[in-house]
Amino acid sequence: MQKIEVNLYRYNPEKDRFPYMMSYSLDKPKKDIMVLDLLNMLKEEDESISYRRSCREGVCGSDGMNINGKNGLACITPLSSVIKKNKIELRPLPGLPVIRDLVVDMTEFYAQYEKIKPFLQNDTEAPLQERLQSPEDRNKLDGFYECILCACCSTSCPSFWWNPDKFVGPAALLQAYRFLADSRDLKTAERLDDLSDPFSVYRCHGIMNCVSVCPKGLNPNEAIGEIKDMLLKKKKNIIVSDG
Amino acid sequence: MIGSRLWLFQRISSLFLLVYIIYIALFFVNNNNISYFDWTLFFLSFETRVLTSIFFIIVLVHGFIGLWTVGTDYLTPRTLGLYSSFANIADSLRKIYQAFFVLLGLFCSISIIYLIWS
Repeated sequence: MQKIEVNLYRYNPEKDRFPYMMSYSLDKPKKDIMVLDLLNMLKEEDESISYRRSCREGVCGSDGMNINGKNGLACITPLSSVIKKNKIELRPLPGLPVIRDLVVDMTEFYAQYEKIKPFLQNDTEAPLQERLQSPEDRNKLDGFYECILCACCSTSCPSFWWNPDKFVGPAALLQAYRFLADSRDLKTAERLDDLSDPFSVYRCHGIMNCVSVCPKGLNPNEAIGEIKDMLLKKKKNIIVSDG
Repeated sequence: MIGSRLWLFQRISSLFLLVYIIYIALFFVNNNNISYFDWTLFFLSFETRVLTSIFFIIVLVHGFIGLWTVGTDYLTPRTLGLYSSFANIADSLRKIYQAFFVLLGLFCSISIIYLIWS
């Protein structure tokens, strides 16, 4: 039977001084399986392997990891699409501190998400039932609200690796635009003010790693472009009104 | 709005640099067999002096913004974290790096303006 070789990033801070790669050999499954299934098979062999997983269908965003050099969700990545010469390498999401094996500390990622205030801000009197939107206004949110916060995009972005405390990162910027574009949100000016420093948005140099890895097929770069556009229009309005 | 200002400055300044390069290219295109005399005359004209002065000032500011960006990307405790002894002094290293380029920029500006207008 054909074998596949899995190289897995291992690190247990209680035991290991440094992380290392461990090689496992498994029988090649007869049918195509997902990378998460492969990890589950490994876990049956070695119970000490740690990784996050939950919904196993690309909805919860728990099992984001680096698969053969590219970030993705293990649960919706078919093994056949990533395996090369019967070898596969699994590492944690890059740029974030490793807690253990494939589990990373996402505090910095969530701190940036918190920074963009990911909720509707509208201080007008609440209507009896709900705040309505025209179908056209609702359509403006398509492609921006579907993010599952798996962090595949932000952790593939060098600007986020280098300044995770200052650069908001593609995932949170996508969310930021989702609220900037929402006709029901009334804090557009304040939201833009919060993003107008040289780091929050402008550290994006458009290298498109985020677009290339997003498991949901979203385009954070488009959202960032729209935010830059709004920031520049706001600046122009300030200059015109001052002048 | 400082982020937008810097972003706009980088784009508008690069357009000016392009205009200056076209201005210089046109001098070469419109003149065959350029002698030292032609070259000197061209660079002694008022408009070339003004454009060249603005060009170099913009190059220096544009370059400094770029270098500041590089410094704040690569010379941080996070980026130098792999080498823990460097991580502790990353902020100081970045300040030295920035101070060096500010001083170099000032020296270049003064030298260039002196060369062009003396």
